[in-house]
Amino acid sequence: MRPVYALGAGVHPWGKWPDKPQLQLALEAMDAALADAGVAWPDVQALAAASSRFEGGMGWGLHANEVVQAVAEQGMPCINVGGACAAGVIALQSAYSLIASGQYDVVAALGAERMPKGFIPRPPGGKDDRTDNDYLRWVTMGATNPAYWAIEARRRQHDHGTTAETLAKASVLMRRNAAGNRYARYRDPVGVEEVFASPMVADPLHLLQICPVSDGAAAVILGSEDFVKRSGKPAVWVAGCAVGSGQFGDPARRIPTIATTVREGIPHTSEVVGAVRRAFEMAGVAPKDIDVLEMADNTAWHILAWPELFGFYEPGQGDWMLENGKLAIDGEIAVNPSGGFLSFGEATTAQALLQVAEVLWQLRGQAEGHQVSDAKVGMTAVLGLGANGGSVILTR
Amino acid sequence: MNGADPEMVVEGLVEMGPGGPRLIGSHCLGCGTLYFPQMPGCPNPDCHDKRLERTLLPDEGTLYSYTIQRYQPPPLFRMDDWAPYVLGLVDLGAGLRVMGMLSGIGENEVEIGMKLRLAVEPLYRDAERGDVCTYMFAAAGDRA
Ligand SMILES: [Zn+2]
Repeated sequence: MRPVYALGAGVHPWGKWPDKPQLQLALEAMDAALADAGVAWPDVQALAAASSRFEGGMGWGLHANEVVQAVAEQGMPCINVGGACAAGVIALQSAYSLIASGQYDVVAALGAERMPKGFIPRPPGGKDDRTDNDYLRWVTMGATNPAYWAIEARRRQHDHGTTAETLAKASVLMRRNAAGNRYARYRDPVGVEEVFASPMVADPLHLLQICPVSDGAAAVILGSEDFVKRSGKPAVWVAGCAVGSGQFGDPARRIPTIATTVREGIPHTSEVVGAVRRAFEMAGVAPKDIDVLEMADNTAWHILAWPELFGFYEPGQGDWMLENGKLAIDGEIAVNPSGGFLSFGEATTAQALLQVAEVLWQLRGQAEGHQVSDAKVGMTAVLGLGANGGSVILTR
Repeated sequence: MNGADPEMVVEGLVEMGPGGPRLIGSHCLGCGTLYFPQMPGCPNPDCHDKRLERTLLPDEGTLYSYTIQRYQPPPLFRMDDWAPYVLGLVDLGAGLRVMGMLSGIGENEVEIGMKLRLAVEPLYRDAERGDVCTYMFAAAGDRA
């Protein structure tokens, strides 16, 4: 395997962009990434795109093809990948593999999304009977996505004594971080009182403790060592890049299933934990080496629980870490200095690449307004429907 | 239960028996794992047999965790006189945890670890189908 480098990244700000089709968001993110990498479309030898099921892709998930047909008909391979909320990291893994294998020297990974209004609709293709979990969870009990996370959060309160106030402070931290990030959608800081004043969605989670949905796009350009040497471009090493799926016996409440078979010794959220462990192994680093962790905070509970699952500290210690400022931008390990999904909202297929862009800029010292001092090693972690997980480690 | 079986919101999840309702799951002949609902195969990587048989699951368990659904779910979910309700995750033993609405347990009474028993309760009344029911979990001992 050849070493792979991150040459540059581009992000279209997250928000609601009713006048911009998904393709437009994609092209703007790609343009920004190419400029950041100091390359142009003719340099790009392949494109891996995370395929949305909501818009674009010529109706068939052909998002990479749609982009190259708009701006770069140069015969390159177009790889269109699924993976729901983790699709961006699967696109990056595809781009990574094309370079690591020696086949290509410059490959782009892209995700762009315009989310539907309101609830994420039930995907097409299921039958209205007991063989379709997404049907079952609605008709038998009306289990919304926040209800799944709330059940995890309530259990954490039981196991570790997590207070409502600590859970609120996780949202407060994310919004404080986002205040300095021009790509974030919600940049007004909030206090604990405002979190409590927001409507209770599913106890113990209030509206401000659950990520909304947004439109956004992000792209990352990867290159080989040969290309980096030849071009003289500054680059950051992709030290680890891994994707995975869930393990049998995982105790996580997996959306949209209505039951779980649990086995001792299997990590919670095993699809992400498995990817994180593989990324650590590839990079030859451990949690203590990580300066920046960009992780999927679908809710405030995730901020407390996920670093524990990844081995950053003991189960239950997240509350103390948060309360004592250890997870802040100037803390021991900066968790989501970007502001996270709580401040961006989910743009499902784009968000994993947003995380990689954030880590890249942090390591370059270019995270304007929310820079982690002297960040050397950064990691991403993301989860997607179908028990897809992924993690990327960059080092400088 | 006498007379006709209740009209269920979806078929194939519950069997009405002399001792009350039971959830219908799968039992793996290879590794013994219980699943709910019935599965097309056994995903256990240590299992090589993977033949499944239909089985009735335990009708009692303990509450592992819960939430209160505070806003009305999208229209696939139908419920008369909608009001916030408790949604539980119930441990039925053998590692099997099943989600379901709690019946007759208010938000101030619900407690992790409480003993629960499977029930069948109406969700809404339909002009053609009459009372349409789903499985729920009620406090154990509450039933006659
Ligand atoms: Zn088996």
